Amino acid sequence: MAAFFQQIVAGLATGAIYASLALALVLIHRATGVINFAQGEMAMFTTYIAWTLTANHGFSYWPAFAVTLLFAFALGLGLQRIVIRPIERGPILTTVIVTIGLVLIFNGAAGWIWSAEVRAFPSPFPNDTWNIGGVAISVQDVGTFGVVVVLVLLLAAFFRFTKIGLALRASALNPEASRLVGVRVGWMLGIGWGLAAVLGAVAGMLAAPTIFLDPNLMQAILIYSFAAAVLGGIDSPLGAVAGGLLLGVGLNLIGAYVDFVGADLRLPVALLIILVVLLVRPAGLFGKPVTRRV
Amino acid sequence: MSLPTLRRGELVRVALFLLAAAAVLLLPRLISDFRAQQYAYVGIYLIALLGLNVLTGFTGQISLGHGAFMAIGGYTTAILISDSDPALKIGSHVFSNDLKDLWTIPLAGLVAGLAGFLFGFPALRLTGLYLALATFAVAVATPAVIKKFEAFTGGGGGIQLFGLEGLTATPKTDPITFESTEGVTILGFEITTFNDWLYYLSWAIAIVMFAVAWALLRGRMGRAFRAVRDSELAAASSGVNLARYKTLAFGISAFYAGVAGSLLAIATTFVNPDTFPITLSIFLLVGVVVGGLGSLWPLVLGAVFIQFLPLWAQQLNGPLPDSLGPLSVPNFQAPGAPAVVYGVILILVMLALPGGAAGLVRRAQSLATRGYDRVR
Amino acid sequence: MRRPRLVLSMLMLAGAIATGATAASGADPGISAKTILLGGTSPLSGPASAYASVARGADAYFKYLNARGGVNGRTIAYKYVDDAYNPAQTVQATRQLVEQDKVFAVFNSLGTEHNVATRDYLNQQKVPQLFVASGATTFGRDHRRYPYTIGFQPSYQAEGWIYGTYLARTKPGARIAVLFQNDDYGKDLMTGLRQGIARSKVKIVAAQGYEVTATDVQSQIAKLKASGANTLALFATPKFAIQGYVFANRLGWRPLVFNNAVSSASNIMTLASEGNTNKAVENSVSIAFLKDPTDPKWRTDAAMRLYRSVLAKYARGANAKDVYHVYGMAVAHETARVLKATGKNPTRAALVAQLRKLNDASNPFLLPGIAIKTSGTERFPIEQALLQRWSKGSWQSFGGLWGYRAG
Repeated sequence: MAAFFQQIVAGLATGAIYASLALALVLIHRATGVINFAQGEMAMFTTYIAWTLTANHGFSYWPAFAVTLLFAFALGLGLQRIVIRPIERGPILTTVIVTIGLVLIFNGAAGWIWSAEVRAFPSPFPNDTWNIGGVAISVQDVGTFGVVVVLVLLLAAFFRFTKIGLALRASALNPEASRLVGVRVGWMLGIGWGLAAVLGAVAGMLAAPTIFLDPNLMQAILIYSFAAAVLGGIDSPLGAVAGGLLLGVGLNLIGAYVDFVGADLRLPVALLIILVVLLVRPAGLFGKPVTRRV
Repeated sequence: MSLPTLRRGELVRVALFLLAAAAVLLLPRLISDFRAQQYAYVGIYLIALLGLNVLTGFTGQISLGHGAFMAIGGYTTAILISDSDPALKIGSHVFSNDLKDLWTIPLAGLVAGLAGFLFGFPALRLTGLYLALATFAVAVATPAVIKKFEAFTGGGGGIQLFGLEGLTATPKTDPITFESTEGVTILGFEITTFNDWLYYLSWAIAIVMFAVAWALLRGRMGRAFRAVRDSELAAASSGVNLARYKTLAFGISAFYAGVAGSLLAIATTFVNPDTFPITLSIFLLVGVVVGGLGSLWPLVLGAVFIQFLPLWAQQLNGPLPDSLGPLSVPNFQAPGAPAVVYGVILILVMLALPGGAAGLVRRAQSLATRGYDRVR
Repeated sequence: MRRPRLVLSMLMLAGAIATGATAASGADPGISAKTILLGGTSPLSGPASAYASVARGADAYFKYLNARGGVNGRTIAYKYVDDAYNPAQTVQATRQLVEQDKVFAVFNSLGTEHNVATRDYLNQQKVPQLFVASGATTFGRDHRRYPYTIGFQPSYQAEGWIYGTYLARTKPGARIAVLFQNDDYGKDLMTGLRQGIARSKVKIVAAQGYEVTATDVQSQIAKLKASGANTLALFATPKFAIQGYVFANRLGWRPLVFNNAVSSASNIMTLASEGNTNKAVENSVSIAFLKDPTDPKWRTDAAMRLYRSVLAKYARGANAKDVYHVYGMAVAHETARVLKATGKNPTRAALVAQLRKLNDASNPFLLPGIAIKTSGTERFPIEQALLQRWSKGSWQSFGGLWGYRAG
């Protein structure tokens, strides 16, 4: 029985990491209507920034964390203003290709600047483990879970209760009307990208202590995060977290107890979930179904 | 299908096409043997891009998963001509040199086309980015699924096709002079090297499939596809059966991808799950967008782009190491640099030419006619 | 003869003479008056880019040799090309090296399936497939069918066998749990392990595979611990081996750990020890055949000093702590020796003949006592290793040399 709960705990830990990147995906989609395939690579790149600050420039953890978040915000904002803005009125395919270009650039740049060697990444949480009823729960995982919960609450509050959050939602929903009421739509989109990059950086910094840092850190996670975002609802931050946790636990249980799936088919199962959800309930578990009026 | 009747303006285009085809077929005489192989791959990618363009450029359905259809085509060919050890089998049938490779090409296309057609049904419910995500999911899952069904696909070790009887023109070239000791004779012409054979095979098929695509798209089917792309609502209200044309578009594009995948297997003489990674699907989409959505000719440029740009970007690392003294180029040896170069070029192309090469041609054309109008 | 081809050949010949890398009349391709051209593929980009150091180390060593006059008056040019760890690209790149660059031999290409994909082509074209950078058993076992192919490092199967045999001798009641990568590399190690414990009371009580596409192996380690095993074998690549240690530690599990050679370099073990808070690494066992650049034992060793100076001079920016560079130099050293033995006018046939009688006990980058040896019936160049134990931050070798003769 303890083994079963151990799998669940492990699933919640992994799921929290999926959830953190999924939040970034949800934010960008909600604020700008775009799916950013480069979200994972941007997260990885900003995590490297944090790493090099602590390892090579003598920063301690929290100052490095803060500087990294600022850097991430500037990076996201800058990318949106410089690279995405010229093409945002064009077909969506152009934006897809541009984000693919960004994937190549960030992945290549990380390998170029810091090499592909595996690195350790510091964590603000102690490396202890609690033992509750035969189930080992690591403080790192609890901390990650806690940060994700705080993030989703902050994000929900931000969208609901602040003027900027309202302006962001308005810009995404109806740019023309928003402009008429004085919202600087262009800057809103940029802020959306900036905030998403910040969320991505946090995701990377949560994952790296456990999974260790290398240029391919976020590649596998990105796919699972897409699955989590789709499952929970690509416009719902709460859904992203719920989706991530469900996915983490579900995949662990299926992988551990269904022999046919084992380790080989965990990824296809996650992707099958994407397909099924998109077909049956595209808005996801917590999203609001969008109806089109003809 | 009855022979399409040609309008007058189109006769010129047909003549140009035949001229271009002749030039393509004569090219191997002028280039080195190895270049012929590289251009053969351009031809293979062109076939895949033609198919993808039917779906994405003409019907407006984004697919990030056409590598999966190529994998289906490639594996179909590989399984049918394979003679592996341990033998591949489904149920009680052992696959061993069942067919010659050329016969498997249309078969591979049909199997992939059927898969695409079937995928088209659930895909009806998805649009835009959601469809992109779903096809992305299929492409990412494909290598893992191939690997799982080992008895059928040879698993991670893949299927080795080199030297099999089923393979035409198996390279038997003298390693020093590169003259082939056993060539292929087609219609009285002798093709002596494996590379030339690959070139002619892929481009002959590419030319034929280009013509077929052109014929399909200039008629009612093409108009229906374009109507679906421009506005599904308007198309449906004018009587275009959305379901039929969308699934048809998927089927046709998957057929093309399957043929391309089959040729890829024949060219590389090896298939395994890693030979059809997600990057293949992504590069196919890149090729279509860079070539130009909704056009056919400029796709050749798209195919050249995806075949040669990675190689060219790698050249930045220096073609030969310093040990050649004064004759060598500075050696950057920077890991990751080629990827950055590729990404930057890709973004620049998108920003400068959102319509791809076709957009450039259109702009040049409109500039030319504008000048003409002013003169008039 | 077709005219254009003749003209083209003349042009190519002229061009090639200018760059000094062509077949002069009578000589094999890749041999010119001044150069021997070797070519290979390496995962410079993609999921395995950490292993590109293998090629870089070899390249640096060749440059060092060239500065000293090269081999029999010729410099060794080593052209390595990116295949992004995709076998289809390996095939294309290898064909380019053979047909366009006209290399003398394909050398040090990395990856199991990647070399399998090109093996038939290379053997048929009679191009030596020299010192394949993979421990898969097939490269040594199938030499009768593929005489132009040879591996270098101890095979994964041999390594697994050593662990199993050692365990059977010293811990007869052991219950092993295995974390293995779900491909030929992981499975080869498993096969060897099973062979090693075959006639003993040691049992494999659980085995969990993972795919390279996995994000982490937490679930697998949890399941392995639940099996009640007291020994853990990590047949995983560095990132996942480190995670194996991390999760075992978090679960409060302290088994005896066997870590495979691909992931046991000191810098990896140091990462796994998580700033000395991870106790699961203590007393881990692994094999070694290369000198570890971070092992204090070799700090004043002449070969390691040479290694560091060669890297600093010819591979600027390379991380000297990365043991894969040492591997590259070891294999380059052996290649230079073999090329020298082929004499003043090397031919491919002569090179292949040398591969049947390798006999060198003096490779400075290998651990003392380890010899490179092949025969007409036996084509695994290195089949010896030392066992080592991780203790207080470094590896200590113990016991004598282990040898393994594959059937």
